[in-house]
Amino acid sequence: MTEVLRTESLARAFGGLQAVAGVSLSLHAGQVTALVGPNGAGKTTTFNLITGNLRADSGAAQIRGRPIMGMKPWQVARLGVARSFQDLRLFTHMTVRENVLAATETASWFWQPGGTRARAQRQQRADAAMEATGLTALADARAVDLAYAERKFLSMARILAAEADIWLLDEPASGLDLASRLRFGQLLKDAQARGVAICLIEHNLDVVVELSNRIAFLDQGKVLAEGDPETILRDPALAAIYFGDRPQEAA
Amino acid sequence: MIAYAANLATLVAIFCILAATLNFIIGFAGIFSVAHAVFFGLGAYAGAQVALLLVPDALLACIVAAIVAGGLSLCLALPALRVRGEYFVAASLGLQMMATTLFAEAKAFTGGIGGLVAIPRPTLFGIEVGVLPLALVALALILFLTARLQHGAFGRSLQSIRDAESAAEALGKNVAAAKTLAVAFACAGAGIGGALFALHLSFVNVESFTMDQSVLIMAMVIIGGTGTLWGPVIGAIILLALPSGLAFLPFIPATEVGAVQQIIYGLAMTLLMVFRPAGLVGDLSKGRATA
Amino acid sequence: MLFLQLLLQGIQTGALYALTAAGFALIFGATRIFHFAHGTSFTLAGYAFLFCWNAGIPWWAGALAGIVAATLFGLAMERFVYRPIQRHEGSFFTVFVAAFGVAVVVQNLIGMFAGRGFAAVDTSLSRATEVLPDVFLAPIFWIAIAVAVVLFAALSAFLTRTHAGVALRALAQNPDLLRAYGLSSNRLSMLAFALGSAMAAPAAVLTAMTTGLNEAIGHHVMLISIAATIVGGVGSLRGAALAGLMLGVAESVALQFVDTQWAEAVSFLVLFAFIIFRPSGIFGVAQTR
Ligand SMILES: Nc1ncnc2c1ncn2[C@@H]1O[C@H](COP(=O)(O)OP(=O)(O)O)[C@@H](O)[C@H]1O
Ligand SMILES: [Mg+2]
Repeated sequence: MTEVLRTESLARAFGGLQAVAGVSLSLHAGQVTALVGPNGAGKTTTFNLITGNLRADSGAAQIRGRPIMGMKPWQVARLGVARSFQDLRLFTHMTVRENVLAATETASWFWQPGGTRARAQRQQRADAAMEATGLTALADARAVDLAYAERKFLSMARILAAEADIWLLDEPASGLDLASRLRFGQLLKDAQARGVAICLIEHNLDVVVELSNRIAFLDQGKVLAEGDPETILRDPALAAIYFGDRPQEAA
Repeated sequence: MIAYAANLATLVAIFCILAATLNFIIGFAGIFSVAHAVFFGLGAYAGAQVALLLVPDALLACIVAAIVAGGLSLCLALPALRVRGEYFVAASLGLQMMATTLFAEAKAFTGGIGGLVAIPRPTLFGIEVGVLPLALVALALILFLTARLQHGAFGRSLQSIRDAESAAEALGKNVAAAKTLAVAFACAGAGIGGALFALHLSFVNVESFTMDQSVLIMAMVIIGGTGTLWGPVIGAIILLALPSGLAFLPFIPATEVGAVQQIIYGLAMTLLMVFRPAGLVGDLSKGRATA
Repeated sequence: MLFLQLLLQGIQTGALYALTAAGFALIFGATRIFHFAHGTSFTLAGYAFLFCWNAGIPWWAGALAGIVAATLFGLAMERFVYRPIQRHEGSFFTVFVAAFGVAVVVQNLIGMFAGRGFAAVDTSLSRATEVLPDVFLAPIFWIAIAVAVVLFAALSAFLTRTHAGVALRALAQNPDLLRAYGLSSNRLSMLAFALGSAMAAPAAVLTAMTTGLNEAIGHHVMLISIAATIVGGVGSLRGAALAGLMLGVAESVALQFVDTQWAEAVSFLVLFAFIIFRPSGIFGVAQTR
């Protein structure tokens, strides 16, 4: 079981608010690590620090031993990190197929490197991603016209198509009905079997138990506990924090 | 009559180039520049200087114009990388106004208010040629290139950046490079249009590169429809045919034709935006994802 | 003493910029609409005043006509252009194009009917006398300062003391309040447009009495207003006013080193520098991505 991503004491404050206060995580190939904690615990901020969307005040992060602090988001992405956003950030005015195809290309130059073969492979990857997320029939619909669950799956399809081996998923299953959640679980299990290292932010503890190998419990920017799901979820102190009097609606 | 038609056709081809290249950054990259005439002007001056100082070779003039305009497009790309939306429009407005002053003052390069006169007739490899065929070839080439770019991976990258910049970046797209390149491409195209314009009129001055001109080009793109291949071409034809059409109306004095033309397209822009944004400008009129 | 002369002139110009920019910032703060036709309010007010003056109507009635013209224009834009666009959730570009179209139309109508080129009213108020060795000041200098001070005092009293003013301010600081408190957005938005546009009128009248107006001055005014709003920090009225003053002074003082035609370029350079190095402006909070 190889470690592919680790963070060491990542910290970041916004004004006087210490959003992330020394988070050390480690993601392993073929493992699902759930990042759990009340709203405002600093989960999304942790992702932003890893991906370079925010600059850390202190701390470090490495991907396969390579330091990534100070890198731009696109550079981190090219090291094999794919992330989803809590607010999805789909390419709203493009079709589903274009959204997914765009995820297979990095083209910042006038053309995408690679010849016809590479292009055909990208097409295939896009088709496979749409198939796996059940979006094939909607390939020509624009993202803005999709229903809620379809949007969430489009966000997942982009990640599938990106062929990254580290996934950072920010509440990808929130608000999904049971059938969609099963499909989502299957996606995750397949990826896990392929050796993808997954970090999953999720509020629904049933989903967490079902899908994750490890849990990191975050509160007020700190990892309060880390371990296998049963142990963490049985800890009454953590449950008190998790189900405490803090507001529970989506941030 | 033939000469009149040829002149109009040449101008239409040149403005089609301008509208098509502006459409490329507005419709695909979401970079709303109000400074396109600046790069048109840079190309015109550069092309004219090549013809005046070196040889009136059209190809050379176009290449130099493209390099100058494309190179200086960094002035536009820089704010495009830093800010979006209204802020960028403000920056490009400012750039346009400053460039107009610069064109009027930098006498060594632009000839000042008087402009550059007596630009020799263009040649191609030593043989004298008309500008119309050159402009048509350039237009065809630029339309072909924009179509290829728009529908290929690069166009998808630009569109994804337009819709959700941070998500595009999270998929490994170098946003800064893509935006800079898109702007450079569009401005180089405008520069080629400028060189052809200078060779065609054999005279250029700052009047052709003011904010009014930028707004005219923008109106062509908007009235024709942003983000489409043929929209800007149609918009350019409509707006250039307008003054000729107005000239036939007896109740408009000749001196007011320009003003009436501007009133018509100003009104058209406003009415389109208020009443039919979805119909004519396609996707962009709807709210965009915040990135 | 050239420097002092330029500085004083800059303060006069800057006071007028501050008024116009504060109007723009007020509108933007309360409605989130980048009112690209704000310069047109200014132009209309100036020409209304010119028209009255030339018709022999007393100056105060002319100034009133200017204020009415600017206010009505602002209200008309809100009602007939921006509100329909916002109803179908137009992007900022839709707003920009629509407003710009109106600006182009008005500019050309004025050019057709009022003539092109600079027009000014000539009053004894704009005749300068030597107040210090080599420093000339016209009475209009003091008028400009006084008008700006009185109007800003009145505005700040309105924004802090009255119910509607407090609501406008709250809206500027936190747009979500609108939804949360169910404030009547249409009425507040009309109020913002009326007030903001009216603030451009005194500046226009005073400009007509000093440097004069032309039909295309709206572009310049718009650029200054936007530049001041961005430089001052979007959402900050005080920032916009201060930045307007600063831009006026910078444009004027720069004349010690460059010719007049570059004055506007100075404002643009300041705007450009802020956009590149500090997009959040002087009083803005740093943005995170
Ligand atoms: N860009 C930002 N600017 C200021 N405060 C922020 C920013 N991003 C997050 N925060 C604050 O940091 C804290 C952690 O937020 P976040 O990481 O989004 O929590 P969550 O665990 O719910 O994802 C919250 O209090 C939030 O308000
Ligand atoms: Mg979150």
